[in-house]
Amino acid sequence: MGNLTRNLTLAAAFVVVATAVPTLGSIYIVFMANMILMYVVLAIGLDILLGRAGQFAFAHTAFFGIGIYVTSLVNIATGMPFYLTIPIGACVAGLVGALIALPATRLKHLYLGLATFAFAEVAQWVFNNWDEVTGGANGLRFQPSQTGFGEITNDLEAYPFVLAIAVFMIWITRNLELSKLGRSMEAIKESEHAATASGISVNRTKAIAFTISAVYAGVAGGMFTLFQSYVHPDVLGFDTLVLVLSMIVIGGIGTLPGVIVGVVLLGLLPEVMRGLETYQEFIYGIILIGVLMFMPRGIWGRIMSFRESMNAEKPEAKSTASPGEAP
Amino acid sequence: MWEIYLLQGLAGGLVTGSIYALIALSLVIIYKSTQVINFAGGEIVMIASYVALFILLYTGMSYWVVVPLCAISTFIIGISFERVVLTRIQGRQAPGQSVLVAMVIATVGLSYILKGIIRPIPYADEVRTLPPMMAIDPVFIGPAVISRQDIAIFGIAVFSMIALFVFFQFTPLGRALRATADNARAAALVGIPVARMRALVWGLACGLSAIAGILIAPKILMTPDMGGLIILAFAAAIIGGFTNFPGVIVGGFALGIIENIVGLTISSNAISVTPFIVIILVLLVRPQGLFGGPSEVKKV
Repeated sequence: MGNLTRNLTLAAAFVVVATAVPTLGSIYIVFMANMILMYVVLAIGLDILLGRAGQFAFAHTAFFGIGIYVTSLVNIATGMPFYLTIPIGACVAGLVGALIALPATRLKHLYLGLATFAFAEVAQWVFNNWDEVTGGANGLRFQPSQTGFGEITNDLEAYPFVLAIAVFMIWITRNLELSKLGRSMEAIKESEHAATASGISVNRTKAIAFTISAVYAGVAGGMFTLFQSYVHPDVLGFDTLVLVLSMIVIGGIGTLPGVIVGVVLLGLLPEVMRGLETYQEFIYGIILIGVLMFMPRGIWGRIMSFRESMNAEKPEAKSTASPGEAP
Repeated sequence: MWEIYLLQGLAGGLVTGSIYALIALSLVIIYKSTQVINFAGGEIVMIASYVALFILLYTGMSYWVVVPLCAISTFIIGISFERVVLTRIQGRQAPGQSVLVAMVIATVGLSYILKGIIRPIPYADEVRTLPPMMAIDPVFIGPAVISRQDIAIFGIAVFSMIALFVFFQFTPLGRALRATADNARAAALVGIPVARMRALVWGLACGLSAIAGILIAPKILMTPDMGGLIILAFAAAIIGGFTNFPGVIVGGFALGIIENIVGLTISSNAISVTPFIVIILVLLVRPQGLFGGPSEVKKV
């Protein structure tokens, strides 16, 4: 199968699934779809930092929260349409991300992880205690998002916009992957010294990756305000970060299709585990460790190496097999 | 008036700080020899205190029996996690940053498994606390009040730290462990079974956490989520630069005292955010920790 036909098939499958979702008749399915699309953006953002630039950063939920609160507060204050409020939320998240990045890029893996973890916890504490602005522990009730023609009042109305934003962000990510910046990040992940030696400014690239990642989280926060009506600081804690982290790891760290596979699988997991809620944490931990042990490059990595070994059986295609993983 | 606050804060802080120092030591022992931050450290503490609760409730054995039993059970958890999970992850991935990421995420997975084991058990429904180890009648040190149990906790914690120090400094096994942590390749060259040492380090650290868990459980409320206290140990470890044992112990005590004084003077609401602020401040000012040496640069 050629590259073009493959891409066309994928695109066609995507269009079919995307248009099928609202016609299934259940508003709950639409809600799930919105949620999964939001997590796609959130997870891609974390993957840019963790999977591509190799930076151990745990502050993602903080930027997600900033996106949610800024977008909805701007909406409450001005009533601007969502295609203005979401970029504002994303910019504020990116700005905070850039501020954090300046000192954070000086830190090595372990310390960066702990510093960003601490920052996320402080941010959650602020969301929980800044009563006048965030509503504190009572949570914040959103106003319906404006489209310029009317209001978004339910999941079904939000769905096309959420879908459009997710597709737009995926398209951006594709371009980022192929850009000089994307390749610089890949180089830093492999070896900072080698990257420096090839003329890449390590600290600047890290800081940019940090900022971009925060912008993605901010956009995901804005998507959250489109289809949800309420936020509580509890959803902005470490558990959400672990969920997003697991999506990346289980799907395939550092690969766009892998992240999407992981998000869809873990997004549907609560449905599969209906009735097993008490054992949810246990099952979750087992899946996470199991994937790390038996599929080090995630489900997508397993699929790719399976395809490579299929190709390798034909002698003429032998050279395409990547040396990355032993069969 | 403020002298009483200060003394009370100091006394209470030294007691909780000694426990934080123990947990922080268990993190640092693991970090020094495997470079992994153990995000399941708090859950090991949690498991140990629940095991203690079950033994005490069902058999009524004394604390003298309970402590070793708990330490042995977490020792086994630690060793098997290293043997079964971490060695496999390490063996399957290319060395470097990504294998560390994978190993740290595996500890997050372990923490979920441990929480998931405890949560469905009926005893975890309600908040519990361990029965007091001994009479909790107060003792006065100047104007400050401290309970007899607190003195015992402090004593046991300090004793464990001294025992750990003696073990690492003077026993052949402890020296072999240190050699492995300093330079695994050189240790292997002089005939130290490095792989076994790594497993042992995990077991030892988890056993140490068990002692900390039993010490802290009579003082706080037990829930399956009590592992969150690990963040205090992270802060203590960061003050010590994650490598310097005395620095980590000082960090533990400092954190206990800071926490107590913040609670007494600012607000109890601010206690929960204190360790995070400490972490951020220390990392901003001196990323290698207040006691860490100059930050090292790894060769390519």
